[in-house]
Amino acid sequence: MTASSPGLISPAVRARLRDLRLVARRPAVSPGFGAHHSRSRGTGLEFSQYRSYEQGDDPRQIDWKLHARSDRFFVREAERDSPLEAWLLVDATASMTQGDAARPGWTRLDAAKVIAACVIELALRQGDRFGIVTITGNGVATIPAAAGARQRDRCFLHLQRLETAGAWPTPGGLRPIGELIGPGALVLLLSDCFDDAAIELAEKLAAARREVLTLQILTAEERDFPFTGGHRFIDPETGEELLADGAAARGDFLERFTGARRALAARLVGQGIRHVEFILDQPPDAPLRRLFGPAPRAGTAQERS
Amino acid sequence: MSFGLLLPAGLLALLALSIPLLLHLTRRTEQQATVFAALRWLKASQRPRRQVRFDELPLLVLRLLLLALLALLLARPVLSGLTDARHWVAVTPGIDRAEARAALDPPDAEWRWLASGFPALDQETPARLHSTSSLLRELDATLPDDAALTVLVPRRIDGLDGERPALRRQVDWHIVDTQAAPAQPAPKSPAVLAVRYGQPDEQALPYLRAVATAWRVTPAAAEERQVRVTSGPSSEPLEAQASWLVWLAPGALPPDIRAWIAAGGTALLGVASQAPDLAGGNALWRDARGEVIVRGRAWGDGRVMQLTRELTPATLPELLDPGFPDRLRTLFDPPQPPQSAFAETVAPRPGGLALPSVPQPLQPWLAVLVAMVFVAERWLATSSRRGRSA
Repeated sequence: MTASSPGLISPAVRARLRDLRLVARRPAVSPGFGAHHSRSRGTGLEFSQYRSYEQGDDPRQIDWKLHARSDRFFVREAERDSPLEAWLLVDATASMTQGDAARPGWTRLDAAKVIAACVIELALRQGDRFGIVTITGNGVATIPAAAGARQRDRCFLHLQRLETAGAWPTPGGLRPIGELIGPGALVLLLSDCFDDAAIELAEKLAAARREVLTLQILTAEERDFPFTGGHRFIDPETGEELLADGAAARGDFLERFTGARRALAARLVGQGIRHVEFILDQPPDAPLRRLFGPAPRAGTAQERS
Repeated sequence: MSFGLLLPAGLLALLALSIPLLLHLTRRTEQQATVFAALRWLKASQRPRRQVRFDELPLLVLRLLLLALLALLLARPVLSGLTDARHWVAVTPGIDRAEARAALDPPDAEWRWLASGFPALDQETPARLHSTSSLLRELDATLPDDAALTVLVPRRIDGLDGERPALRRQVDWHIVDTQAAPAQPAPKSPAVLAVRYGQPDEQALPYLRAVATAWRVTPAAAEERQVRVTSGPSSEPLEAQASWLVWLAPGALPPDIRAWIAAGGTALLGVASQAPDLAGGNALWRDARGEVIVRGRAWGDGRVMQLTRELTPATLPELLDPGFPDRLRTLFDPPQPPQSAFAETVAPRPGGLALPSVPQPLQPWLAVLVAMVFVAERWLATSSRRGRSA
């Protein structure tokens, strides 16, 4: 962690990021050196096998001591640690504008920006490649994956300029995402997950062997429904309005909404997608700790072994 | 004691009470707009309950109170049948204050001068003597029914009219022998009749001179005033002691003459003078056929009269009548009816009209109350705490 990234990550959160590691469940396949297990063989620290020299192999890879013993050319191969490609899919549709009345100026999008910045810092620290896809009603904006501090600054700049607009785009507008994100990449979707199209996108990416994680950002008002008195509830994306009495609607809403959350989590887990919820009154590193924390749960440990 | 409204229709203003009620109600029914993306899990059937609730209840109560008081003010509330059993003592001006106090000492009495407005006895002695009989009747009518009334009168009382006052209550008619001598009527100074004419060859002038001679020659009664007659053109200013004026010049009255009349002068205008509206004046002198010769009215402190025809024998045959000087004199100096009597002979008798007692108007008190409530309402409505509570 080198240069500061003003505005996005508070020092307390930054301090708590120290023991987090971006980990993919599947071995990475992307070329290059990195910190992740890979199936590709080549130069590296962990010995894999010897094989006979073929034309075109780098002479530096020939094990000269073995040649001295056997008078044949063997090439020493190692399991190559490869870098991870991390992709951040940031939902910036109008529904992300919502925040809590208890903490004005802290919207879903703000939380998504901070979490994305945290993931970028983690990836930068591990030398991984990372890229950003932001999805607004106007379409998809991307920063192709790359590594390095300059890439981080590019991404931060892009995040800081990001503003919400419109509703979730049509599937045609989302096509560049599939082309951009290569197989084996770690994809973190930061969204309220209210749009069915967003879930479908995550499922499609998961089906195409991308490691997809969804982070559902909810407001505390959606969790608690603390409204009393008459309210005119407005859907920011459709503009639809609904008159309801807060206290009267509370029980029913909580029941239905909790059911919907549970159904979503079950659906995503069924597709092999790791799903966590983040509520705006929690610290922004809490969901990352659940995803990438140092004390993995029993289930996660089994998956990794 | 009973409460009444002189204008009950004013209570229709109570309908205005609905205005603050509506103001405080509509704010509550206004829906608070809330951005809520998880709208689809919210059931549409749950309409907000209609709650009859009011914002800022203390302010609303104050506003309702204010409007109700205003409506009551419009309805002109009165309080009638006030029992005020205080003892009233009315002192006729002319009796010394100390003498009056010494004459009788009822406990807790309300001492007043028997004068216009019934000022308290501590105030200055009223200068002008109004009609005593009229004041007595007024006092009797305005006092509550059960208030006892004592009237202190000197042995000789002035300002009476033709009738012994009949009052509805039993009046303690207390005669005080004043040490001060009763005011003797001052010997009257000779009056000066000024005649002002437009042209020296005015036809009326010889007759007026004849009248002057007649007044001088006629042996005057002892109490009658000597009259001196002067004459001159209209441009000549009036003598300082002139009290009567015959103005024969045509045209409008000059301002100084108007001021002189208003200050207490008595003027008889010729037919050609332009008089201040005398059409509605009283007919002071009619001829044998009943037609008006002179009409007049009060003007300021003085009187103004006007002839309706020329002062010539052709138009006014009465000019040649032997009684003309006397008639003219009574115009200027109308005989006064007798006003003085010994007090014991004019003690008020019971049997006055039992008028309903004058109700006490509550409007001034109500107006003060309205002002106080208004101030309180403004204070509450503009206080800084309001923003927090709303």
